[in-house]
Amino acid sequence: MNARGSLFQAFVLHRRDYGNTSLLLEVFAAGRGRFPAIAKGARRARHPTSALLQPFQPLWLDAVGRGEVLTLTRVEAAGPAIGLLGRPLLCGFYLNELLVRLLGRDDPHDPLFAFYHAALTGLAGGDDLESLLRQFEIRLLDELGYALALDVEADCDRPVMPDGVYVLVPGQGMLRAQPDDRAERVSGATLLALAQGDRLAPHQLREARALLRRLLEPHLGGRPLKSRALFRRFAVASAPSPVPGSGSGQGAGASRDSTPLGITNRSLES
Amino acid sequence: MVDALRCLPGVGPKSAQRIAFHLLERDREGGLRLARIMADAMTRIRRCRRCRTLTEQEVCALCTNPHRDGGLLCVVEQPSEILAIEQATEFRGLYFVLGGRLSPLDGIGPAELGLDLLDARLGGGEVREVILAISPTVEGSATAHFIAESADRHGVSATRIAHGVPLGGELEYLDGGTLALAFNGRRRL
Repeated sequence: MNARGSLFQAFVLHRRDYGNTSLLLEVFAAGRGRFPAIAKGARRARHPTSALLQPFQPLWLDAVGRGEVLTLTRVEAAGPAIGLLGRPLLCGFYLNELLVRLLGRDDPHDPLFAFYHAALTGLAGGDDLESLLRQFEIRLLDELGYALALDVEADCDRPVMPDGVYVLVPGQGMLRAQPDDRAERVSGATLLALAQGDRLAPHQLREARALLRRLLEPHLGGRPLKSRALFRRFAVASAPSPVPGSGSGQGAGASRDSTPLGITNRSLES
Repeated sequence: MVDALRCLPGVGPKSAQRIAFHLLERDREGGLRLARIMADAMTRIRRCRRCRTLTEQEVCALCTNPHRDGGLLCVVEQPSEILAIEQATEFRGLYFVLGGRLSPLDGIGPAELGLDLLDARLGGGEVREVILAISPTVEGSATAHFIAESADRHGVSATRIAHGVPLGGELEYLDGGTLALAFNGRRRL
């Protein structure tokens, strides 16, 4: 990384207090990937950057430094903050946690940055949160080099058929389900919708959620995602309200006991 | 001793050294008194069972004061904010201290903030209005939303303090987000 760069586009993924007046940030920047940075004096009273250096605020930043942690020298808004409230906000936290946990440091992921920005905007629209999260998870795995072909069978390169039933075999990919397979089954239609980035039908959301959860698990190092636990609490606290994205007609009942971040009430009891 | 003093906020190695020498050379009496009071405070002060503020009693003086209005509950992040509100406003209700904000990436969830206790309190029937005095950050907004949902469930009205232009501030130097909030929250004159 250059000792001195010019302005770059970025998002703050996470911030915490550092010293008496500074902030220690986890930054995700276009062309630079994820890196830690310090904003000196940002917590002083009436310091204008404190309001800007928050998650979901598009930023222009400049940073200097040779070590692992850079020092921010310029902070400017690159547009209004993406207004997330309630469930979309928790989904935003989830995306941030995924990035913090899975992205290596200083590993540029330009397409992912654009996709993250688009995903946040989508969340703010409040429209079909679950499909958005699943698409983001797939893109993330893709960018990290853990991509899995969802539209072909792993052992014979046969294309996945919409009416087929498949299972995930770790390390290999999707295989046609055999009668004695005990792994969770996924319909071909769901796999194709995921592979093509289509909107998922209500009954597909559950399958997709379980599948992505299993795909992400090996890369999370056994530590559970905190935002999932928080979402679970939210879901329990407001149990009567239906889950976003499942409200349209048929299938809503089936996914009522589940939440967008991949938690079902069954996993809650265990 | 120098090392131990550095646990104080804003005290670096240099200041710690200065304080240590001052106490040893010039004010042993003061040092001893400080040590006694410190030890006492550190062991005796705990959290109020009702509002989670710091107190020496089981339930703090504010919570047991019969002249406070139990129908108004102000939710703050830190005990120090109670003091600020008490000094600056006419508020005569009760408080509830969270001790932070919901922040999944830091592992701070509802349990750490005592939100179960707050939920039980809102469900107790005494509280009419819960006033959220929580920082206007992203985490603060998640926290506020969580509490508002819980208040809604118990039929308690939830409000939050206004966000906007600081007194004596100039619009030109205000960040866009604050200005937008101030604009949206405008009032009829």
